[in-house]
Amino acid sequence: MNDMTRIDALHPGAVMHLAEVKAGELSRREFLTRTTALGVSAVAAYGLLGMNAPAQAADVKVGGIVRVAMETKAMKDPRLADWPQIANVYRGWLEYLVQYNPDGSFEGRLLESWEANADATGYTMKVRQGVTWNNGDAFTADDVIFNFTRWADGSVDGNAMASRFPGLTEMVAKVDAAGAAVNDEAGNPVMVTKLRDGSVVKMDDNTVELKMSMSDIAVIAAISDYPAALVHSSFKDGDDPAVNGIGTGPYVPGEMSVGQKMTIVRAPESHKWWGGVAPLDEIHYIDFGTDPSAMVNLANSDEIDMNYETTGEFIDQLNTLGWTKYEAVTASTIVCRFNSATSDLYKEKEVRSALQRAIDPAVVLELGYKGLGTTAENHHACPVHPEYAKLDAQTLDKAGVKDVLAKYNLADAEFEFISLDGGFELDTSDAVAAQLRDAGVNVKRTVMPGSTFWNDWQKYPFSSTTWNHRPLAVQNMQYAYTSTGSWNECGMANADFDAAMTAALALADGEKRREQAAILEKILQDEGYIIQPYWRSLYRHTKPNVVGAVMHPSMEHHHYLWSLA
Amino acid sequence: MLAFVIRRLGVMLVTALVLTFVVFFLTNLPPNLEKLARSEGSVRMTDAAVASWLEEHGHTGSVFFRYAEWLGAAPGWVITDEKGVTRGKCIGQRDDPAMAPKFCGVFQGNWGVSTVFKKTVLFSLGKSMAATGWLMLAVMLVMVPVALLIGVLAGMREGSRTDRVLSTFSIATSATPEYVSGVILVVLLASPATGLSPLLAEWGWIGKKTLFMGTATSAMDHITFWNFGLPVATIALYGVGYIARMTRASMTEVMTQQYIRTARLKGVGFRQVVLRHALRNAMIAPFTVIMLQFPYLLNGVVIVETLFNYKGFGWMLVTAAGNNDIEMLLGASVVAVIFVLVTQLISDIGYVFLNPRIRLG
Repeated sequence: MNDMTRIDALHPGAVMHLAEVKAGELSRREFLTRTTALGVSAVAAYGLLGMNAPAQAADVKVGGIVRVAMETKAMKDPRLADWPQIANVYRGWLEYLVQYNPDGSFEGRLLESWEANADATGYTMKVRQGVTWNNGDAFTADDVIFNFTRWADGSVDGNAMASRFPGLTEMVAKVDAAGAAVNDEAGNPVMVTKLRDGSVVKMDDNTVELKMSMSDIAVIAAISDYPAALVHSSFKDGDDPAVNGIGTGPYVPGEMSVGQKMTIVRAPESHKWWGGVAPLDEIHYIDFGTDPSAMVNLANSDEIDMNYETTGEFIDQLNTLGWTKYEAVTASTIVCRFNSATSDLYKEKEVRSALQRAIDPAVVLELGYKGLGTTAENHHACPVHPEYAKLDAQTLDKAGVKDVLAKYNLADAEFEFISLDGGFELDTSDAVAAQLRDAGVNVKRTVMPGSTFWNDWQKYPFSSTTWNHRPLAVQNMQYAYTSTGSWNECGMANADFDAAMTAALALADGEKRREQAAILEKILQDEGYIIQPYWRSLYRHTKPNVVGAVMHPSMEHHHYLWSLA
Repeated sequence: MLAFVIRRLGVMLVTALVLTFVVFFLTNLPPNLEKLARSEGSVRMTDAAVASWLEEHGHTGSVFFRYAEWLGAAPGWVITDEKGVTRGKCIGQRDDPAMAPKFCGVFQGNWGVSTVFKKTVLFSLGKSMAATGWLMLAVMLVMVPVALLIGVLAGMREGSRTDRVLSTFSIATSATPEYVSGVILVVLLASPATGLSPLLAEWGWIGKKTLFMGTATSAMDHITFWNFGLPVATIALYGVGYIARMTRASMTEVMTQQYIRTARLKGVGFRQVVLRHALRNAMIAPFTVIMLQFPYLLNGVVIVETLFNYKGFGWMLVTAAGNNDIEMLLGASVVAVIFVLVTQLISDIGYVFLNPRIRLG
């Protein structure tokens, strides 16, 4: 534990956090997330806690094929990837700068290490040496800069990374093919993000510095998210990453049949993977459609070795088969949200809040997710998030809803509630609708299959949306509830919330940070845009002979850790 | 005869043209294009992003002109975006735009690329038709002999006990849709917890957990009795009842004919009467029904392929329609037109051989 003796060389934030742990203000899990995000290695972080980092399995058997039941969606330019399933395939050959581990820590992959300055306005990133692309090119600082430029490019329709680096980007007017400015319907120029000149700087071949215009503690979390896979500099906008398959990872794409089967196979001998040898020869992803019972059939007839996710009653069914169950504690959730931008019904805060407080989260958790989780508090910050602050419990008021609706002449209005048809999304939405009906609200339920539901997911006046786990609570809040959030689906535009978000993204000491989070949580809860009943625990099953394929809170597949016993 | 065939081929061409235009028009309605943009770009795109995506991918302009592009009668779209990258209908990923042909449609032998499957339409169609072909072949091999046997046995002595038992069976199966019989078969034969499998496993008769496999996914690579049995049985059961009823009706009618009575009175044995005199005449009606089953199968496989997760034509059609995969749907409709009209052509020609009283002309 050499690291323990050199506390003076640590990031001041880490020292502060260590003091907080000792004072009992910070959980160990939170400590790991916070300090590794600042560049302290996982080994050192565990060392600071006086623990040993979990050891890697010593002798793993090399060889074999693992078959996974997972939807095989079409590959797309990684920054456009809208499902973890897409990323889980290209993860075979495309790697990430930083990896978010199930224990809440961040681990450098293509980065050897990184360090934030004291107020988190600058990061120094050390690029891992000895990494090569499978076409023979060396992986250098230029590749990192190339990818930051791609991520920040908001002119690409559907770029999920563009809004995640407020400190590194500037807003520019969008231009069309002819070079003319693009205007929106109101005649104002459409503004998009672009990497600010001089914000990502190459110091030498192995060092990159981020110089940000504001504090942002979420940068490391953002580059560990699934759209942030690194592509080679020959990659063109909108390319299919599987077509040429240039990457740094241990595998290369094999068969790629959308909706049927996708395989990744060990890269040819000529490519020496920096991480050594990934145990499995091949990984096959088999698409079973959207009906989970088909997945159980596949397991029954021994056509798969593990699945992507087990939900609801299928957990028991796979347990009965003698499969190994893995559980991940997560901030994955379902949010039933109102949209004030597309419906006049939800313009009034009082109406939204009344509807929100008619729902008892415990009942929804029981009926909608068979009690496999914990209740939430309508503000999208979870106790596993480092910045979570406990608010006073909300008062449920089923009886008062009618009066509020009557006050705004909505007593007879029909509230259409849209959800996916199937799975826990359906059950949860039905449970919410039933409670609203109990409270005297005229609710109409509409269900849609996945193929049509997502077409308009941001526009529905009242619908339910699933949200994946993200390492920090401010991430989801920033994407979904700030006025400029790329995934804002409720029309919320609260200046106080936006300001509090800017403040929350700067590093502050434990107490202040939590105060800031409490402000965000309180505003979000009071605005009443979301009914967020519970946090999901996520489950995965594998056959007993599959080793290392643990459940990840963000559904990531870390192929190089998998092997067969 | 030749003129008849040529006329039929002409009808086929016109039908294919009309149908593809209808499909093209429907898949190019604005909401469907939006669906396409969201599944191709990102489901979380804004409306403005959708509009610009559609423009950059050649989905704007007159629907007639774009249909002509698909046919290859009009030059394919070419767009250079703000970063100077040129994309076009005839330019593949990493192709040199300068080298690309101007026209690339059906006339040039280019059926386009499936947006869902990321492969050419011809490749995807070929693969899925091959998979469905095996399924149909197996179904026909099981269904036709069984149905004819049941129909003939039931029809040769109307009102007998055999007739009552077999008729009940065939009415029951033809009244049970595939999505019901499929589920029942899975529960009975392919579940480790219910039906026969746990009993058999307990007695040590089967080494695995289930007798049959509940999915046919592995049949895509290699067909075995255990992974293919249930989907085949599911489709065949429905058809068996229907064809058997038709055969029975036809058989009972033939058995009341004067010439059958004459043959019986001349002292010909019952067996001989059925095999020599009744059978061929009783086969005319079932023959049409069997040929009609082919186009029906093309629809029927949609349910069964989805239920058993078998990636053939039916499954492909569902996926393509669900994602508004324009060129894939156009290709599939051409295939369907050809398939239906060719089987009907065979049915008409076969008629002539079975019944000399009918002439084609």
